[in-house]
Amino acid sequence: MTTLGENRRLPHVQIRELKDDYCEFLLSDTDPSVANALRRIMQVEVPTIAIDLVEIEENTTVLNDEFIAHRLGLVPLVSNAVSSMTGVFETAGESGFMDVEMTLNVKCTSDETMEVTSNDLQLDPNHPEVCPVGYSHDAFDPEKKGILLVKMRKNQELKLRAIARKGIGKDHAKWIPVATVSFQYMPEITINRALMDTLSEQEREDFVKASPTPVFRYNNITKQVETDHIEQYHWDGEALAKAEELGKPGLVTIKERQDMFIFRVEGTGVLKAEDVVITALDVLHRKLYTLQTSLPEQDDVAPLPGVQ
Amino acid sequence: MYSGAAEDDLPDDSEITQEDAWAVISAFFEAKGLVRQQLDSFNEFINSNMQEIVDEYGTFVVKPESQHNPGMAEVEEKEYKVEFGQIYLSKPTMTEADGETCVLFPKEARLRNLTYAAPLYVDLKKTVITRVPNTEPEIEEEHYPKIFVGEVPIMLRSSYCSLHGESGQSLQELGECPYDQGGYFVVNGSEKVLIAQERMANNQVYVFRKSQPSKYAYQCECRSVVENSTRNTSSMSIKMLARSGGKGGQAIRATIPYIRSDVPILIIFRALGLTADKDILQHVVYDFNDTEMMEALRPSIEEAFPIQTQEVALDYIGKRGSVPGVTRERRIQYAREILQRELLPHVAVGEFSETKKAYFFGYMVHRLLLVALGRRDQDDRDHYCNKRLDLGGPLLANLFRQLFRKLTKDVRSHVQKAVDRGKEINLMAAVNKDTITRGLRYSIATGNWGMQGTAGMRAGVSQVLNRLTYASTLSHLRRISSPIGREGKLAKPRQLHNSQWGVICPAETPEGQACGLVKNLALMSYVSVGCPSAPVGEFLEEWSTENLEEINPSVILETTKVFVNGVWVGIHRDPAMLVNTLRRMRRQVDISTEVGIVHDIRLQELRLYTDYGRCCRPLFIVDPNKKRLTITKDDIRQLQDREVTGFGWQELVHKGCIEYIDTEEEETTMIAMEIKDLENARDPERAAYTDTYTHCEIHPSMILGVCASIIPFPDHNQSPRNTYQSAMGKQAMGMYVTNYQTRMDTQAYVLYYPQKPLVTTRAMEHLHFRELPAGQNTIVAIACYSGYNQEDSLMMNQSSIDRGFFRSMFFRTYRAEEKKQGSLVQEVIEVPDRSITVAMRHGTYDKLDDDGIAPPGTRVSGEDVIIGKTSPLADEQPGVAQRFTKKDVSTSLRNSESGMIDQVMVTTNAEGQRFVKIRVRSIRVPQVGDKFASRHGQKGTIGMTYTQEDMPWTAEGIVPDLIINPHAIPSRMTIGHLVEALMSKVAALVGKEGDATPFAEVTVDNISAALHKCGYQSRGWETMYNGHTGRRLQAQIFLNPTYYQRLKHMVDDKIHSRGRGPVQILTRQPVEGRARDGGLRFGEMERDCIISHGSAAFLKERLFDQSDAYRVHVCDRCGLFAVANLKKNQFHCPACKNTTGIVQVHMPYACKLLFQELMAMAIAPRMQF
Repeated sequence: MTTLGENRRLPHVQIRELKDDYCEFLLSDTDPSVANALRRIMQVEVPTIAIDLVEIEENTTVLNDEFIAHRLGLVPLVSNAVSSMTGVFETAGESGFMDVEMTLNVKCTSDETMEVTSNDLQLDPNHPEVCPVGYSHDAFDPEKKGILLVKMRKNQELKLRAIARKGIGKDHAKWIPVATVSFQYMPEITINRALMDTLSEQEREDFVKASPTPVFRYNNITKQVETDHIEQYHWDGEALAKAEELGKPGLVTIKERQDMFIFRVEGTGVLKAEDVVITALDVLHRKLYTLQTSLPEQDDVAPLPGVQ
Repeated sequence: MYSGAAEDDLPDDSEITQEDAWAVISAFFEAKGLVRQQLDSFNEFINSNMQEIVDEYGTFVVKPESQHNPGMAEVEEKEYKVEFGQIYLSKPTMTEADGETCVLFPKEARLRNLTYAAPLYVDLKKTVITRVPNTEPEIEEEHYPKIFVGEVPIMLRSSYCSLHGESGQSLQELGECPYDQGGYFVVNGSEKVLIAQERMANNQVYVFRKSQPSKYAYQCECRSVVENSTRNTSSMSIKMLARSGGKGGQAIRATIPYIRSDVPILIIFRALGLTADKDILQHVVYDFNDTEMMEALRPSIEEAFPIQTQEVALDYIGKRGSVPGVTRERRIQYAREILQRELLPHVAVGEFSETKKAYFFGYMVHRLLLVALGRRDQDDRDHYCNKRLDLGGPLLANLFRQLFRKLTKDVRSHVQKAVDRGKEINLMAAVNKDTITRGLRYSIATGNWGMQGTAGMRAGVSQVLNRLTYASTLSHLRRISSPIGREGKLAKPRQLHNSQWGVICPAETPEGQACGLVKNLALMSYVSVGCPSAPVGEFLEEWSTENLEEINPSVILETTKVFVNGVWVGIHRDPAMLVNTLRRMRRQVDISTEVGIVHDIRLQELRLYTDYGRCCRPLFIVDPNKKRLTITKDDIRQLQDREVTGFGWQELVHKGCIEYIDTEEEETTMIAMEIKDLENARDPERAAYTDTYTHCEIHPSMILGVCASIIPFPDHNQSPRNTYQSAMGKQAMGMYVTNYQTRMDTQAYVLYYPQKPLVTTRAMEHLHFRELPAGQNTIVAIACYSGYNQEDSLMMNQSSIDRGFFRSMFFRTYRAEEKKQGSLVQEVIEVPDRSITVAMRHGTYDKLDDDGIAPPGTRVSGEDVIIGKTSPLADEQPGVAQRFTKKDVSTSLRNSESGMIDQVMVTTNAEGQRFVKIRVRSIRVPQVGDKFASRHGQKGTIGMTYTQEDMPWTAEGIVPDLIINPHAIPSRMTIGHLVEALMSKVAALVGKEGDATPFAEVTVDNISAALHKCGYQSRGWETMYNGHTGRRLQAQIFLNPTYYQRLKHMVDDKIHSRGRGPVQILTRQPVEGRARDGGLRFGEMERDCIISHGSAAFLKERLFDQSDAYRVHVCDRCGLFAVANLKKNQFHCPACKNTTGIVQVHMPYACKLLFQELMAMAIAPRMQF
């Protein structure tokens, strides 16, 4: 039995960009498995709120009931209140609530086509914080048009009750809190200066152009090839192929670092990107804790810091 | 680019570019649409053929049967003449059961299962001529204007359709889809297409080499038919005997109608009035210096030596006629009539036709000899110029002709009866309105073409219009079928023939039995509707064509023979001038544009065609002197703003920029493939293939048909793959019409989110594929990933599915009507009362509303009853109260389906009976087992669905929707698939549609360069990371968008299992088929397996215990079945009156049945133990 003792690494997170719907950070000093676990959890195990049950009272639109229910389900709902909610499969706590009930009641009376959007949903008076992303009543701002549900013609009507619940992306994609999450290994690119010097200026320029992404840069002053946006290197292999073609294998060497990951999280507006990351870490923690508590007692395994 | 040849005085930019050709193509489709052939031929039928038929057969004279009146002198002679005159067709109407008549629109006809037909009226005239001897005949006329004679089904969007001339908005208001192009009929509520029937062209001379061993070496045939008549084809052939060891040489004989044996040709010539050998030879050989051909005729001359005069020749023929034992006089008369009427009737019928016939007959012999002497090759049976297409119009015309003749015959016999009995003639009552109405409706509804019960019925002429997807509908309306037996293993008629270029799609044909026999029209092909040949004849006369009667046969050698529709009309001494004039006149539309002008220089023939059913296609005309197109940039400019200038396709044709070339004329043209080729031809510096171009293709991609035009880059695929996709495109789900919600189709599939493809072809614009698409743009990875996509299965992203990827709706319509049985008894739609109704269904009746119909929004499944209906039971014993007075005849849902009631329609049908249609909707979410295909014949079923986090991803966060296996590519060589994918990526990144039109100048390198510019690997590869482990995948993955189609085959419709279940009544073996909850057949081969495996017990279990196990009692003494009463333990054998020694035997029920059936035939199968 080895202990985690001195070899234990402490992962580092370095935030590089943080916006409401975007977060880019550098995760270092850990393994791909941990990075991937984090990615997977961010996608499908961070709970959010989405419409799960629709009771249709009146529907004379061109889309059938199932169609509208499906579209409603996909409407992103601001899920900051998710922590105080109880999921269908969870044991109900005293404080947690399960259902958020929204209603929709629209009828087209004009001759023009009417667009029913997420802005037409009436929120649950008990939980007004649970609302569609970009919910607004400013009808004239094209930016706040809301999410289109269905278009209606004169005299068509739609009346329904929609119940939003807590859930995770594993059960249905509507609960996925992010547009996308991805990470990549930090590449390490070294240029063999000696070999590069054997290339003509034209060849150097061609070499730089061979790569579809601006990984290399041709410095017009020094007439040298320099690395530029290394992170945009996507392992396309074009530069290596070009080096081969020029008869200079080994002109550049590219390695991927196994302990440094660039994470990019794009939110949908349901949760803030940073909240997704933090919740994901929390979920990961809890999972590990569950694992730890289920494993037979081992003396030399210290409890994870931060978990009680 | 342009070489600037000095002699050109036109400005450089007047030459149009290949791109400009698309403006011409747009104008073509705008003017013609995609089902023009159907509409044109139907309009021709209504506008002229129908009246022609009425004029031809609508007159008859009835005389009273002479009565024997002893002692009375013949006083007067009466004659009754009935004439059918002008016909009138109104708009389609509907007469309700209460007698009210109103205009009918197709929507209503479809929904209420009515027939979309218009009433036909005709003016009748009765003339009574009374002749009293020695006085002027007394004429008494009576007119019956506009007598209703029947209903004619009307083709949608034809000139007599209620929708004619409507467009866009107004069509929508009438409940029609504005993209629906008509071209079909609505009969009893179902949409029917008449499939074009291919046949050999009539009145053509064909020469074939007979395959040896055969009595004959060569055969020359002509299937002669008089234009526009019902007479059967009168075939005749001229045969040259095979070389038979020395004696006699190769004589030539002719087979003529009604003559039992072959007749030497010289005898026929003599019978036609040419007695001298020299005259005859002049009609055959044309050139007396041609000793070889003269020699070839020697055996024939010698053979006919004993018969030298016309009389003898006629007698010779008459003797071999079908009436033996008559006088010589009669025989000669008979032979003369045969020659006049039955021999080559298309040349002429009647007296004084012999000269013409002799010329034609001589010409046939000449053609035969040319082949026999090896100067020409035998004719090609499969050349498309020898084929004619019978479209809806001619098919209906033939049917109408038969029906109308029956109608007149019936009227005639009615009148005859009335006259004979001295009664008043009531013409109104004589006309049977049902003959035409029923006859036409029967044929269109069943597809059995021809009058019911008559010979020569053709099945499958009319088919139910395929409404699976819009492209399949279009393709169905442009289908051609050749009625050659499907079993025929002869490969030749199935093969693609060179002459089909541009008129028949080379890719779109079914696989299997009908391969190559069922074809589809290419996009721009035009089928001639036929025009009168008289104007052409007049024109020829005007331009000094010499009539055959007026010439000396010796001049034939130096002149050109002129044929019109296969009839040799004369000769001309300056054919080049004549052809030029004819062409010029056709280009100026002084004669019809569809006239075919074929100048066969080698045969010295000028053949003109005006008949219907020829396949033509439009081509740019090239000025042979300037080597330029006659169409100019200016025309294109005018074309491009058609709305302002009004300059369209018709104007282009009238201006002489474009002409229609049929498959025969095409052989005499030199067609440039591209406009660029003309440029080359003009430049003496460049090595042009030729510089004698007469025409230029409008665009080579127009050789494809509807389904093949949807394939991107078909020119990069192995050809069978295009054929597979052409078949699969018809099974793709999408938006089949825009008005699907107001229609009640028996089955309909609609995709939730159809998308227009990222990569399109130019032709798609005219197929409305963007407006009514059938697929979605899918991010596809071509990768091996966890192995769930082997052997053409695919892996799909479950999260994408959750988001609505390829979600679809399925509609099924059930219908029921209150049928009338007798005058009082009739079915009732209601909730059946269990206490008085017998034979109630298993399913629940709870879903029925009070009116006996399940209301919309009800969730239904299994065998739930959705329409409750009862039929009264007949009183068995009058006076005795029965327990059950009704029988349940409800409609329940199919046992394997479920869904929601989508829509309910309650109306009345044509008989005024209550009529209900219920549409059930179910939502189909893609699941393991559902079938998908790209547009390159790459189909597969889902093998696994993975949620997003398990899918491989790229550093950009892109996750594929679909993963297909790389092994699907190399052996199938669908490079187009990969090119489409690559171009789709560029299209998605740039935000523009990609152009994948075949035979264009796009290259993979161009696309790759564009992709590189967008910052991606130029060949479309991406580095991906394993979703399970997070590690980078070693290989780069080809990850690109590709347009995929969801096919209608879904597991939910196929899944089936059975433990116990229903059995057949007769054999007590399990029934067959999923719909009946049937068993799965354990067939011979499976049985063989088990036998060879030696598992006897299992074999018995499968074949006996699980099938039709039965127990019988057999008399041990006589070996026949005995009667057993096991309760009372009584046994006895009725055959030998034995009560002991009876044994119990287990045997299949089918075996017991066989024994009993044998016994019924007085065979005693005895079982001996």
